[in-house]
Amino acid sequence: MEEIKANLIKHIKNSFHTAQEVDFKGNRLDFIVDKQCIPSILTYLKDRLGYIHLSHITCVDWLEDGEFELIYIVWSPEEKIKVFVRTRIDRENPVMPNIDMIWPQAHTYEREFRELFGIQFEGLVAPDEFILEDWDGPPPMRRDFDTAAYTAETFFERPGREDAQDVRETITKRSGEEIPDFAKKYSR
Amino acid sequence: MNDRNSQKIVDIIQNWSRKHSIWVLAYGTGCGAIEIPPTMTSRYDAERLGVRGAATPRQADVLLITGYLTTKTLKRVIRVYEQMQDPKYVIGFGSCTINGGMYYDSYNTIKVLDKYLPVDVYINGCMPRPESVLSGFGKLQELIADGKANGAQKYKDNLEWYRENQKKIIPNWVMPDYNW
Repeated sequence: MEEIKANLIKHIKNSFHTAQEVDFKGNRLDFIVDKQCIPSILTYLKDRLGYIHLSHITCVDWLEDGEFELIYIVWSPEEKIKVFVRTRIDRENPVMPNIDMIWPQAHTYEREFRELFGIQFEGLVAPDEFILEDWDGPPPMRRDFDTAAYTAETFFERPGREDAQDVRETITKRSGEEIPDFAKKYSR
Repeated sequence: MNDRNSQKIVDIIQNWSRKHSIWVLAYGTGCGAIEIPPTMTSRYDAERLGVRGAATPRQADVLLITGYLTTKTLKRVIRVYEQMQDPKYVIGFGSCTINGGMYYDSYNTIKVLDKYLPVDVYINGCMPRPESVLSGFGKLQELIADGKANGAQKYKDNLEWYRENQKKIIPNWVMPDYNW
């Protein structure tokens, strides 16, 4: 496996000089690249190196850094290695290159990111609404979206759960036992 | 025998017969729908109490709101409820319909169902087991027999109040008006 990984790093480094590799234990290997490289590196992995399966695309909101991180996970059924291609984009003006011509299933992920994170994909042709209906607030999966405040404002609340009691304390009181020391740190 | 007494007897017979044939709309809105198959099939056999599934809203008596209700589903549920023929009842199923349950801070699920639809019986639990589902149906039968399950009447009387709450959640209101 180490041999395959070394070979893969050599191939990628030859074609993409700016790519940085992060090696993990087991069958995982990460590449950190610029966002402009994403379509070309994924095409290269798919067409030349046999990483034909797009497992997942995920987005991480690094609020403190002011960035979104997009992670493309691809898998090779022959080499049994999953490659994470990671890139960071600006949070204020998030624009990504579109990859749904490489893998058609990426279209669904991109629509989801557009709606839930507010990331725009260049050249993505899709209806505006995906999961949310009549939504006019900020993208709800961003970390600065305050769900508690939003729900308190939008929905009714039944009185009685404002105090959010620790259930275990009630149970221990009722059964006359004590919470063990090792478990106390989990109490509210 | 005067008219009032004869009406009373008719009501008793009517309620007795309604109580023994509760047809439930087979429309699972949340995760609680998974408790319906065991309730209906041979182990708990709800059909012995007259509870059985109906295919369409117009044939059904009971609308089960099984668990969380997203704002998107609420639109469909209101539409379904308004299509149902009288007599009609609503059962709120699981703690999500009562106070939000584990989705209490979710941005797209409603928390208190009886602000939007008239609920006759709540079944507590996350999820309620088939026993408690049957006990909820038993409670509904008692209410029907006493003539107290009048959620549909409440909805008609306070339609404006319900509409106001519903429109707060559904901004683009494109629903048909039913003239019951």
